[in-house]
Amino acid sequence: MFIVDCDCHNYWCSATVLEPYMDGVFKDMFVRGEKTGPRGAFPHGHRPWFHPEGFARHDVNPVEEDDNYTIMKEKHLDKYNIDVAILTGDEPIEASTLANPYYADALCRAYNDYLIDYWLPKDDRFWGSIVVAPQDPQLAAAEIRRAGGHPRVVQVLVSHGAARPYGDPFYHPIYEACAEMGLPFAMHLGGQGGINAAPIGAGPTTFFWETHAILPQTAMTHVASLIAQGVFEKWPALKVVIIECGVAWVPSVLWRLDANYKALRKETPWLKRLPSEYFKSNIRMSTQPLEQPQNIQHLWATLEAMDGENTLMFASDYPHWDYDDVTKLHIPPAWREKVLGLNALDVYSRLPQRVREAAE
Amino acid sequence: MTTRHFACKTADVLRDAPKIVSVSNLSIGIFSLNDGYHALLNICPHKGAALCEGPVCGTTRQTSDREFVYDRAGELVRCAWHGWEFDIRSGEFLVDPTVKARRFDVSVEGDDLYLHI
Repeated sequence: MFIVDCDCHNYWCSATVLEPYMDGVFKDMFVRGEKTGPRGAFPHGHRPWFHPEGFARHDVNPVEEDDNYTIMKEKHLDKYNIDVAILTGDEPIEASTLANPYYADALCRAYNDYLIDYWLPKDDRFWGSIVVAPQDPQLAAAEIRRAGGHPRVVQVLVSHGAARPYGDPFYHPIYEACAEMGLPFAMHLGGQGGINAAPIGAGPTTFFWETHAILPQTAMTHVASLIAQGVFEKWPALKVVIIECGVAWVPSVLWRLDANYKALRKETPWLKRLPSEYFKSNIRMSTQPLEQPQNIQHLWATLEAMDGENTLMFASDYPHWDYDDVTKLHIPPAWREKVLGLNALDVYSRLPQRVREAAE
Repeated sequence: MTTRHFACKTADVLRDAPKIVSVSNLSIGIFSLNDGYHALLNICPHKGAALCEGPVCGTTRQTSDREFVYDRAGELVRCAWHGWEFDIRSGEFLVDPTVKARRFDVSVEGDDLYLHI
């Protein structure tokens, strides 16, 4: 079985690893300024929720920077025979929470250079996500064109916490750049706080587990917005990957979108297909964490309603507290080959021929 | 094999306000457009609501990005309940033309209007 892990977090012990990749005033701010983040000391507008146990698995305890890779190799890549790991960073997507878009952009650029320089050469299985700060789409687009040309970069990544829904024409320069570079646009759960002040519809929740369970509502907003604002009519080949936002809500939102569109298509005359059809052709959902009903058939019926065989892609979320190993993925057995690897090969079109041949 | 039924006087059918008649136990809306009279069954194929009691209106033409062209004024009826838009002439639902409201032929003799059912 050919396995692509679409959400493999490359950690650092300290964000000081970025120092060599920064210069000028932003390096000055990075070295001397206030750092709001957790142990990695990365600046961001902090979320109001704290994980009571920390985010990482307790059997992953790097001391030196290189431990981050060696532990990942031993406990994840080698152990589960992962063929392709799409690296999704960790704290850098929190750059989207900063009010200062210039500093946020500088942090993203530094991270992307560090990713390319430090992580990608470490292992043939590594492919990279460059991080951009969507609060200034022009700067983000410039960064996509700058760093997105690296042959081992396979996607553009932002947080799903955002100041406005991602279909908004405000963001369209980002999709223009993604389309030009042939890169998917991915959003990962996170980025609550700072300028992304309303990730939860009715205001802040109280407990971490409660919050984590209902965070998909932000992803619902982005799915509706991307489709309604015609992003997939303007860029029909663009793929959007939604990571770690749950999946069982997808059919219900698509049903609602289709029903409302049938009554009010006149609001969005640029659409040519039903909302659910744009979803199936252009949006892909990562599996982790799959919902866990007591009766697995309830989940499978739901996944079927979203064409899960073709729209789901395996993700482990290594090394986070709710990590899924590939042997425990609760999907219909007949779907495993597609969901574990082949669907991702369609999305990550930059993965070279030799990788594709390995999948056959 | 259709049968001709007297429906109403042509003067009873106003522009933008269909005349709802009951013929052969069927409720039917008769519309007056530029090119003559058209008739649709007053039952929406979506949920059975009173299709012809909704507004006669136009809609946006399919365009490229962020361009709003109001078009076809008076040529569409929006179902009274859920707002699905139907082409009065063909009975076709705009989003999915395979969904059709049942239509009937109309003929006029003098100022009498007939439905062919």
